[in-house]
Amino acid sequence: MSPHRRPLPADPRVRALVAQASHRGALSRRSFLAGALGTAGVGALLAACGTGAPSAVPAPAEDLSSSKKLVRWANWTQYLDQDEEGTSYPSLEAFEAQSGLSATYAEDIDDNDTFYGKISGQLKNGQDIGYDVVTLTDWMAARLIRLGYAQKLHKSRMPNAENILPGLEHVDFDYGRTHSLTWQSGFAGLAWDKEKVPRGLHSLEDLWDPDLAGRVEVLSEMRDTIGLIMLSQGVDPSSNWSDDDFYDALELLKRKIESGHIRQVRGNAYTQDLASGDAIAVIGWSGDITSLNYEADGRFEFAIPEAGGTLWSDNMLVPVGSPYLRNAEELMNYYYDPEVAAQVAAWVNYITPVEGAQEAMVAIDPELAEDPMIFPTPEILSNVSVFRTLTPDQEARYNGEFLTVIGA
Amino acid sequence: MSITAALGDSTASAVAAPPLRRARRAHLVLLGPGLVYLVLFFVVPVGALLATSLYVPVPGGDVGQFQPAFHWQNYVDALTQFWPAVLRSFWFALLATVAALVIGYPIAYVIAVRARGRPLLQGLLLVLVVAPFFTSFILRTIAWKQILADDAFVVTALHFLHLLPPDARLTATPFAVVSGLTYNFLPFMVLPIFAALGRLDSRLLEAGADLYASPTTTFRTITWPLSMPGVVAGTLLVFIPAAGDYVNASLLGNNTNTTMVGQVIDARFFKVLDYPTAAALSVVLMVAILLLVGAYVRRSGTEDLL
Amino acid sequence: MTSAAATSPSPTAARPGGAALELEGVTKAFGQFVAVDDLALTIPSGSFFALLGPSGCGKTTTLRMVAGLEQPTAGTIRLGGQDVTGTRAHQRPVNTVFQSYALFPHLTVGQNVAFGLKRSGARDVARRVADGLDLVELGHLADRKPAQLSGGQQQRVALARALVNRPALLLLDEPLGALDLKLRRQMQLELKRIQTEVGLTFVHVTHDQEEAMTMADTVAVMNHGRIEQLGSPAELYELPQTAFVANFLGQSNLVPGTVTDRLLKRGLLGVDVRGTRVLVPAARAVRQTGAVLVGARPEKMRLLVGDQAPGHDENVLGPGIVTDVSFLGVSTQYQVEVPGLGTFGVFAQNLLGGATVPVGTSVGLAWAVDFTFGLDGAQARDDGTVDLDDEL
Repeated sequence: MSPHRRPLPADPRVRALVAQASHRGALSRRSFLAGALGTAGVGALLAACGTGAPSAVPAPAEDLSSSKKLVRWANWTQYLDQDEEGTSYPSLEAFEAQSGLSATYAEDIDDNDTFYGKISGQLKNGQDIGYDVVTLTDWMAARLIRLGYAQKLHKSRMPNAENILPGLEHVDFDYGRTHSLTWQSGFAGLAWDKEKVPRGLHSLEDLWDPDLAGRVEVLSEMRDTIGLIMLSQGVDPSSNWSDDDFYDALELLKRKIESGHIRQVRGNAYTQDLASGDAIAVIGWSGDITSLNYEADGRFEFAIPEAGGTLWSDNMLVPVGSPYLRNAEELMNYYYDPEVAAQVAAWVNYITPVEGAQEAMVAIDPELAEDPMIFPTPEILSNVSVFRTLTPDQEARYNGEFLTVIGA
Repeated sequence: MSITAALGDSTASAVAAPPLRRARRAHLVLLGPGLVYLVLFFVVPVGALLATSLYVPVPGGDVGQFQPAFHWQNYVDALTQFWPAVLRSFWFALLATVAALVIGYPIAYVIAVRARGRPLLQGLLLVLVVAPFFTSFILRTIAWKQILADDAFVVTALHFLHLLPPDARLTATPFAVVSGLTYNFLPFMVLPIFAALGRLDSRLLEAGADLYASPTTTFRTITWPLSMPGVVAGTLLVFIPAAGDYVNASLLGNNTNTTMVGQVIDARFFKVLDYPTAAALSVVLMVAILLLVGAYVRRSGTEDLL
Repeated sequence: MTSAAATSPSPTAARPGGAALELEGVTKAFGQFVAVDDLALTIPSGSFFALLGPSGCGKTTTLRMVAGLEQPTAGTIRLGGQDVTGTRAHQRPVNTVFQSYALFPHLTVGQNVAFGLKRSGARDVARRVADGLDLVELGHLADRKPAQLSGGQQQRVALARALVNRPALLLLDEPLGALDLKLRRQMQLELKRIQTEVGLTFVHVTHDQEEAMTMADTVAVMNHGRIEQLGSPAELYELPQTAFVANFLGQSNLVPGTVTDRLLKRGLLGVDVRGTRVLVPAARAVRQTGAVLVGARPEKMRLLVGDQAPGHDENVLGPGIVTDVSFLGVSTQYQVEVPGLGTFGVFAQNLLGGATVPVGTSVGLAWAVDFTFGLDGAQARDDGTVDLDDEL
């Protein structure tokens, strides 16, 4: 199976969408301040006696990069090119050789929330969490930036950062990419078993076909499942939609779950259910289906619904307590080299955020250079949305309601 | 218990005062590490849990930010919203406990009584009982998903035999969740019953037979009551973790009628970062288990256990 | 069926003189080891019967086969004339008092005693339990748990638990083995009293010859899965028929000899014991010719000191040297070493008070010809002389 990152995104070329969302910069600042005023996170809870006393925004750690040639990176599983044996990362080894830095790479992230739970206590206190680069999905990256938990990046030390796809440069949570850089992006859409659903799925309505009752699964990632339903209801999830729009989508989901049409709401594990036959039609992630097909002889197919799909990205950030900002920047700069980006994309099969990688890919594998799941066409990109960034209040409320509906 | 034992000892030796003091001091020293451990890793966290359950969100704060308060309404809100999950947890745990008893008792009986005097066979059987524990809990549960999958042989066979309606399935049902719970906690049932039956004097069974009790009657009147300590221990060891389990419900359940409170706590804690609700539900779960277990132990009580 | 048999033993079993238990050709083999070998035995109804033997002699296995706890490899078991071979323990009108008592620890004394009655669906359970406990004088402890009782009390509960069912046969498997000596003596008398009182057939398995002789009407001495000799305690003692019985039941002085002649008129055999001629009543000898063991009990022997002469009807051996003198109160036990013949035991009643013969004295040994017995000379003279108190 493969990696899966949670969702939420920012995207390539969908400037319109991004432009719409970016007016929320003001809000980001407001919540930034609120975050500075009071925090009681998991760390505080576990440490017991957490008082929740207001704490100042932690100050970035002093940069010791010049004295210690080290950079530590936390990422999701199977999210970086590996050699044949799966024991080493060729692009990372090349980086070490070229930069003289020693890089440690850990596949330590399997869930945004869980990972946040682990590190938030230290982040709040400005302590080193043991990573200099963490890779988090848009909405979680947004939270870290909002709370002042991510260090400001110096573009002057990362010339390649200019290669970022224009559409990804001005995301609502980090306008101008001052604190983050996109790692990879992907779509959420429809996936199905071609043998059992021979006519395929073209829209969410097809997913609700009574013939499929009990064999349908949707993602436990709110922004993807609700986002796709919103799109099917004519609401653009990147727009400034209302509470009613959200609850309309949630209501539909609730009915489909209660009627048993939706068998289960799953995280990454939906791919297991596709493989075992328990699910034959799902809301899923593009890269998963590519990986799954390697093992299943192309039995499955992925498509973005006619009404539109969602696009999410994972972003590299430097945690506030990291003492190796410059080393981290050097690493990010390296991966924004189009040649390196193509090398990674050829292996992970997700959308690369680096301009020029498509041209570089031709040299590696001309067929992949034409793969719309790695290098989406403008048509595809015009049909996907990025779920807008929520205020803390909305995030807590919507997430709570969504989880209640999916029975958790 | 060790505290009362310690006090009992000291009173008994009350005649000799100096040794008594020394004994008391020795007891304190011996209890020390345990007490420190309990305070650090039980009392303090439970206190923190209770405190957290009463927190309120920081006004205008970010997701997951709360401040101290005495907001008892958290309990009302949590229970109003999640009481079905709480009740279901106990119901599923009860079903799993009964199932584990029905399956586990005969296993324990065969190992302890039938294989008595054959330590090699006993050891082998015990290893088989415990062997699944060498793999991760999650993997075992996922394996059950595969076993009960629509296209797997269990469902196929049941369909073929018309024991299951053609469109019915096993995964994503309460049955799957209870099966998973039963399977995952079965060794906790088998081992204490095995220990109790292992101590059973086989001469008592002969005495039963000698006093006109058929094998069935002997079992009912002698074996069963004498294995009660194991049965009580086993049912508790299965029931308590099963009531708080969330892995089986999330992997083998669906999203309508299998939600258990552990799942809710997990989601509120890790996904919504609603720590007060998660804490309140944990407290409710803890208190409910304490009450149930207390009532159960009282009922199945000492008089039946000698 | 069980209950009927249990509560009202069959007429055959109840009739005095009828056979309560008959074993025919009963054999039990555990793999290669034959625990009980072609055993035949008839136990009359209403008797107190003891199976006596060292551990491993097969007596307990025999008992367990009667109880139905083991099935014989071959042979037939009849209870009150009815063939019960192959039936299971709970179907037999037999109850056992186990060596370990096997009281049910989770039940009170009263519930323990009521156990069999409830299974057999008897009426009047409460009264019979009370009667049963009164019989063993434990009525006041009915509500205690077995663990709260002393060993002797537990033993009596076990007895009451078996007795209340009025079984056709009551089996006692070393029931007194776990008690101390004084209590054991007391319980022996108690058991005998109860048996007389209730009139049931008791089969008592023990390795303690004194216990067997004290209580039983009839004793069967078992060795190596077979019965060596069966009879009343007095018969077995006065006229043992094997070296094993002679040594296992009390003590015997046995010396090897060869039959030289027969005095037909007087019914005597002349036996040469290392050059000394002794006489054995032909009726008291298992062999009339060849090699024999000449035996006499120690209390039948007396010491000839100085110029004391033997009586007219006495055999004489010796002289020998007194090597040990033990004063026992009622008697004095002497050990006399006779060159070439070994050590003899002599019990002398202390009629005149105190030991009269010191160690080192040269003495002769004399005993009445009438008390002499003759055994098969092929048997080892020390067969059955195991130290019984070390067993258990």
